[in-house]
Amino acid sequence: MRHSGNFSPVIQLSISTNMSQARLPPPPPPQWVVALNSPMPRASKGASSIPDPPGFSSNRGKRQQQQTTTKKPEETDTLKMKKAWEVAMAPSKQIPMNAIMMYMSGNSLQIFSIMMVLMLFKGPIQGIINTNAAFAKYESPSTHSRLIGVKIVYMLMQLVLLALGIWKVNAMGLLPTTRSDWLAWESERQSLEHAQFAFR
Amino acid sequence: MRLKALLFAACLSPAVAIYSDEVNHVDFHHALLGTPSPDSTFFLKPSTASNASLLYTLSDKLLVGAVNPRDGALVWRQNLSRSADSPARGAGLLRGLDGNDALVGAAGNCISSWSAQDGKLGWERRFTEGVVADIELLELEDATATSGVRDTIAVVGSDGVGIVRRLEGATGKTVWEYKDTSGDVPFQVSSSSTEVFYISLQSAMLKGYKIKITALDPLTGRQTRQQVLNTDTDVTTPESVLYVGANSASPLIAWTDKSQKSLKVNVIGTKEVTSIAIDNVSGSEIRQITVHAPNKLNSLPHFLVHFVTDAGAWAEVYHVDLKSSKVSNAYRLPYLQGQSVVSTSAIDANVYFTRITEAEAIVVSSASHGVLARWDLQTPPSEVALHSVSEVVAKGKSLAVRSALFREHGDWQLVRNGQIEWTRHEGLIDAVAATWAETDFQEDLAHELEVEGHETLYGAYLHRVKRHARDLQHLPDWLKGLPRRILSSILTDEVSNLDSFGIAKPVIIATKNGRVHALNTGKHGAVSWSVQVTDTTQWDVKAILSSPGAVTIHPSDGSSVTLDILTGEILSRTEPSGSTLHTIAVLATQDGASLTTAGIGADGAPATALVKENGILVTTSADGRVLGWISEDNKAPVWEFVPPSGQKVIKATARPAHDPVASIGKVLGNRSVLYKYLNSNLALITAVDAKAKTASFYLLDGVSGKVLHATTQTGVDSTQPIASVVSENWLAYSFWGDVTTDESSAKGYQLVVSELYESPLPNDRGALDSASNYSSVDTLPLPHVISQAFMIPEPISHMAVTQTRQGITTRQLLCTLPSSNSIVGIPRPVLDPRRPVDRDPTAAEAEEGLFRYTPFLEFDGKWYLSHARDVAGIKEVLSSPTLLESTSLILAYGNDIYGTRATPSQAFDVLGKSFSKLQLVLTVVALGAGVAVLAPMTRRKQVNALWKA
Repeated sequence: MRHSGNFSPVIQLSISTNMSQARLPPPPPPQWVVALNSPMPRASKGASSIPDPPGFSSNRGKRQQQQTTTKKPEETDTLKMKKAWEVAMAPSKQIPMNAIMMYMSGNSLQIFSIMMVLMLFKGPIQGIINTNAAFAKYESPSTHSRLIGVKIVYMLMQLVLLALGIWKVNAMGLLPTTRSDWLAWESERQSLEHAQFAFR
Repeated sequence: MRLKALLFAACLSPAVAIYSDEVNHVDFHHALLGTPSPDSTFFLKPSTASNASLLYTLSDKLLVGAVNPRDGALVWRQNLSRSADSPARGAGLLRGLDGNDALVGAAGNCISSWSAQDGKLGWERRFTEGVVADIELLELEDATATSGVRDTIAVVGSDGVGIVRRLEGATGKTVWEYKDTSGDVPFQVSSSSTEVFYISLQSAMLKGYKIKITALDPLTGRQTRQQVLNTDTDVTTPESVLYVGANSASPLIAWTDKSQKSLKVNVIGTKEVTSIAIDNVSGSEIRQITVHAPNKLNSLPHFLVHFVTDAGAWAEVYHVDLKSSKVSNAYRLPYLQGQSVVSTSAIDANVYFTRITEAEAIVVSSASHGVLARWDLQTPPSEVALHSVSEVVAKGKSLAVRSALFREHGDWQLVRNGQIEWTRHEGLIDAVAATWAETDFQEDLAHELEVEGHETLYGAYLHRVKRHARDLQHLPDWLKGLPRRILSSILTDEVSNLDSFGIAKPVIIATKNGRVHALNTGKHGAVSWSVQVTDTTQWDVKAILSSPGAVTIHPSDGSSVTLDILTGEILSRTEPSGSTLHTIAVLATQDGASLTTAGIGADGAPATALVKENGILVTTSADGRVLGWISEDNKAPVWEFVPPSGQKVIKATARPAHDPVASIGKVLGNRSVLYKYLNSNLALITAVDAKAKTASFYLLDGVSGKVLHATTQTGVDSTQPIASVVSENWLAYSFWGDVTTDESSAKGYQLVVSELYESPLPNDRGALDSASNYSSVDTLPLPHVISQAFMIPEPISHMAVTQTRQGITTRQLLCTLPSSNSIVGIPRPVLDPRRPVDRDPTAAEAEEGLFRYTPFLEFDGKWYLSHARDVAGIKEVLSSPTLLESTSLILAYGNDIYGTRATPSQAFDVLGKSFSKLQLVLTVVALGAGVAVLAPMTRRKQVNALWKA
């Protein structure tokens, strides 16, 4: 809307100047064009005393700029590390809940217990694979060395969860840990001699 | 492993019974009677209310049976010899009267009365004085009779004392008694409408007997008169008297002179003996003379004498003049070549004679020689008819006749108006050996595959391509049969369609009389062929070897005969070796590919030396030793087992030839393993000491003869059946034990089960540990034995174990129960000796499937393989694997023939009857139709949705 308002009179103006080139002198430009082209006069002293409308701050951008520039890099890193530690310790909060769930679900092979065990395996393994992605936000050249410890703790926590899953699978009897699991690979002892019987 | 344990637990689930719709489907039963005796077989109307008659007989095995003449099915059957102390003299006796619901049978010293309709016992009398010589039912009804059941006259005799007793029909109580102490041989009893005649044989001066007839008053038993018939020393033995009639207006007694030139006939009660010259039209020697007369009081006094020569037969019909007691010849049934049988039947006063020859059946009236009815026999008979009974029925003006013919070698046939209605193969009652035959339909394929296996890769490939190209010639036939096959597979249920899984294997049975039968197990055990191999009465078959397409039978005389299993054609024979063999060993080579036989003499030594491939042969000798033989030496055994003095080896068993073990250990509840003691050379020897009342069971290693385990039971009655079996890593035996000083002894039938383990500790394989092989001679560790005893309600006469293809299915202990005539399959888990005693099982034990031990083992109704059937006299039970792991074939023989299928862990690899293929197909079709209808609708909806967006 503003564009059409600005340009259509200019076009008209150029046409009219071409048509009355010989006879008429050009009319003075309208007031708004003059105002547009000349810079705004400095606000008067009185005007500066007028308070800003509510919600508008004429010098907000300046302040922000001031704040960011005033933050020191050491503080940011500490903050990042704090957040990273929080992320690293998050899996440990799941351990009690998962342990209770696994304990309550029983050792029978049912669709729910199998699904829960699968979830228990999927979460930690995915977590370990995506370790770097989880801490990418906190990655910076300065925090890089300090994040290694955090990542190790994070992985340890995931491994604890995984261990919970393995404990559960073992309790369900799915791990070949006993003699009976290898019974099928043991073979019958063969007799070197062979007897035949005629008892009928 | 847990999965496996779960599967195992599923195998233990309880309901392993035979469902009622499987009866006659999975099993077949030949309820047999034996050879019907000619004078104790008759048609009889058991009730006056109905005109229907049954065919009654008493067989040579002393079985009384009623057979439905319509289809040959057994209505009821009873064993007379069960209650008799002493064996009967010859065959037993059976008498019955039309409209009288009581049959009276006698065997030995026992007389019993049976309800003719349902075979229930009315009464039973046992005489201490001697054996029953003859019985007769009194047809006349006198004023003293209290019930509708007719009284019986019985002759009991021993050592020159003959006692005639009249027994009350309903109770069997003695009404009167007549004692003859003259020293005569009590012979028979006869009756007319007014008198009872006691016939005894009086020793003549020189030799032979005179016939003494004592007439008794039927009401009081008092002697009215007595006369002695002069026989001119014609009667030398009681068997010389051809016929003694009874229940007739003119009862007869008939005999011939020694040269068979004349027939002597006396109407009982008169002194006169009529001598009739025999007009031998055939010219050859008369082999047999039989007299046929009606045995009804109101019948005409006519009788027929049948003369049989080797080549043919003829008959003469005689009339008796009631007033003068004169016997006159009426007419003759002409001499005909070939064998024929004659039987008598009566309608009211009229008497009819039915003569059945090889080509035709005719009926004549006793009054005149005109043939009243004639039928040509449709199928020429296979065997000679020995005797027959007939029933003639008047249908308007014409006559209908049905005759039950007993043919030589054991077929009992009913011929109705010239057509064979049914055949009962009574010869099967003497089965001595049986086996399943192997059909050879896959033999060619196996051969081809073998060829391919031995060729080069390229050659084998070419061979296979050629074989498949050759197979294409069957394609049109295959395509032609396809619709029918699909239809039949949809319409019929799965259970009937298992023939290709080796379930409908034919059964080959050899009987004592030298006959071989083939039963079609797919068709309710119908006899598909029977062939007379030898003419003998004591064919002692020791082994039947089955090879694809043929069976070879080895009797004890060392000969052998090979028969084709499809036709019964004798393919080859070998001559007897001359010496009688004690047993015949069936020897397999190490790989089990080929079977050979070796004869074993009475001393236990092989008749010929063994070859090296046969390994060690273990035999028993007639004097009760167990011997081990190695190759190339049949003089001295390599080891010998002799039980302690006083003990006698009564039975020896070994593991079945096919006894695969699926798992070498037993998984316990805590998932540790108890290793089974597996030794393919185990033999279980049963020895009894009758004096000390003990039974000892020795478990031997067949290679070294070493005793691995021995146990002795005290207080054992060695006259009762002692059965034993050994399989896999366990053994079982049963006996009758009495209370002894031993604290834990019990009185009654006991079943003991022992399991053998390598070590008492779990996860321990004993001394040999993980060695892959062992030698019995060097180091043979002893097993760890766990035993448990159960009290059982009945004796067990024979034990066997179900066999399946891979041994994965749980086994059943097949026990023959002679006192309830049934076969029971006890699941092995029930007989687990590790069941906890006096406490409930722990969680781990419960997981293993163990439950609390109870001393008394009651046979569950679901265990009975024979369900409601009366499977009598079983001597041997065989089991055979099929291509289906779940299913084991079972065949029992001895008296009855019974075949069934056992599924100890249920039919887990077979679709059940409830599975409907039709329903499945219909569901798929309905789903397809639904998709076809809904797909365009959905597509339209999706397109519309796109336009609206």
